[in-house]
Amino acid sequence: MSAETTPSWQDLLDLVTQLNDSNYESASVQFGDVSVRLSNVAGFQDGGVAVSAAPVAQAPAAQAPAAQAPAASAPAASVAVAAPTVTAPVGDRIDAPMIGVFYRRPSPGAPAFIEPGDHVEADTTIGIIEIMKLMNPITAGKAGVITAFLADDAAAVEFGQALATITPDAS
Amino acid sequence: MSSAPDTRPVILIANRGEIAVRIIAAARRIGASPVLAASVIDADSPAARLADRVVVIGASPAGASYLRPEQVAQAAVNVGAVAVHPGYGFLSEQPHLAELLAEEGIAFVGPRPETLRAVGDKGSARKVAIAANVPVAAGVEIEDVDDVQNLVTLGNGIGYPLLIKAIHGGGGRGIRLVENSEQLAVLVPQAAAEALGAFGNGALYLERYYGSARHVEVQVFGDGEGGVQIFGDRDCSVQRRHQKLIEECPAPGLSEARRKVLHDASRALVIALKYRGAGTVEFLVDTLSDDVVFLEVNARIQVEHPVTEEAFGVDLVAAQLRLALGLDPELPDVAPVPPATVIELRINAEDPNQDFRPNSGDITAVTWPRGPGIRVDTQIEAGYRFPPYYDSLMAKLIVRAHNRDAAVAAIASAAANTRIEGITTTLPMHHFVLAHPDFIRGQVATSWFAPVWENRSNGVSS
Repeated sequence: MSAETTPSWQDLLDLVTQLNDSNYESASVQFGDVSVRLSNVAGFQDGGVAVSAAPVAQAPAAQAPAAQAPAASAPAASVAVAAPTVTAPVGDRIDAPMIGVFYRRPSPGAPAFIEPGDHVEADTTIGIIEIMKLMNPITAGKAGVITAFLADDAAAVEFGQALATITPDAS
Repeated sequence: MSSAPDTRPVILIANRGEIAVRIIAAARRIGASPVLAASVIDADSPAARLADRVVVIGASPAGASYLRPEQVAQAAVNVGAVAVHPGYGFLSEQPHLAELLAEEGIAFVGPRPETLRAVGDKGSARKVAIAANVPVAAGVEIEDVDDVQNLVTLGNGIGYPLLIKAIHGGGGRGIRLVENSEQLAVLVPQAAAEALGAFGNGALYLERYYGSARHVEVQVFGDGEGGVQIFGDRDCSVQRRHQKLIEECPAPGLSEARRKVLHDASRALVIALKYRGAGTVEFLVDTLSDDVVFLEVNARIQVEHPVTEEAFGVDLVAAQLRLALGLDPELPDVAPVPPATVIELRINAEDPNQDFRPNSGDITAVTWPRGPGIRVDTQIEAGYRFPPYYDSLMAKLIVRAHNRDAAVAAIASAAANTRIEGITTTLPMHHFVLAHPDFIRGQVATSWFAPVWENRSNGVSS
């Protein structure tokens, strides 16, 4: 589990979801070492999430008593979240459409469906989510270049968790 | 948690609202780690903040999250849960979730799947009850809905008025009142078509109608091997459209003989089922005759469980969790009648002056009463946005006192000192009922509330 002072991608997603339905033009939130700016304003690039992270070192496990989240902190840390990324992701997010286990390859040892830098079509499979032994292909949803994977191979993922980022083709 | 690894067993809570808060508290009480399975909109709810972790299982509508057994089971796997508590409603009585969890070696906090099936439809529940010598209403299954001759014979055998019930119905749905044989011939085919549409099965039965009966239920706790403990009874007769509004423990004015019939019948049923965990056996207690008839088994913890907990000084939810973890539930054997009277009000986000229309929105201020014997089970707080997707229950106000008169006075005072701003609630309805001479006297029937509320003077609004 990540330290309570470090936002998970789920935390950020929650924030975006909340702000998306509101009238905010922009918002700035400080989570410990990480500041997050969100904007609804047109022209703010690439999905509207920017993360500027001060060095988010792997927090020592002993540092944060996870069971006692400070009242003012973000919602309880989510499970098996992507590790906090130091570099800001480039592009739109591709979110998990369901809870499950995310696989980047069709079988253990096989090459990944997609590597960062690959170009994909909207219906290209970028991974699989297994839910109770049912395998669900996950497609890119739009044509473009996959810039990063935010969920590891074989990671438990939640509904709405960011799996990857994509820079859509210019249309 | 410090640097030492967390060895506490993880309990996944597959529910929301006040019962999620309640189960989190019970998990902490037994030294487990509560993890909440939440929909998107509930991911930062007050219950979510109380849990050790939250896992988002699906989108906000219940049909995309709380009602999906495979999503809940996957969440349990992902978080390493040893047990899943389903609360009430949602998946709490779905054998499918229990089976999915069993395949993964995860405990379902509730009865076995076969028990859920046996009591899950009215037809088989009735058969189980009859086999255990539990009194049931005179009734009969309908073989052919178009055989008018036979219908008339069946109807006359029971007598009028009678009820047509959908075998697979529940929660008050799929029930029709019939006054005579002409109506019966017309309504049976209609009811069969409706039941087929609503429940996927058109099977019906006819049952004697009790027009002035009380709803009395018995709290049971089975060890899963035929052992059973009885924790008194509750009266839940203040109802509107089969939805309970006020509950109390013990049921007032029951003779010793009648109480014994209810408790003995419940015990027999639990033993016959080898029932595991907390459950409720519901009965109608007729006010015009000595009849007591079985209604159904609720194979879950119920909304109104706190009145029993407070009356007997027990923690039923912690006992459920302990049993699921293979531990002694640590429940005492108690007398049939508790040493106190407890009354609970369900405070809903509904406008009682607008036909109980549900509403949602921002709760701006909340004040709960203080004083001896007061308990509030809730998840609402100032600043909470009450969502439109789910049940309208906001809070349960529970008060314990040494006898019923004192409990009625105490809960009326507690209700008068409760303030919820920003959302219209059912509190004005409670003020009305708690001041009504019929309720103060006790032993009202389930048919009492609707006409009394309908005909109230205009002065009581708000």
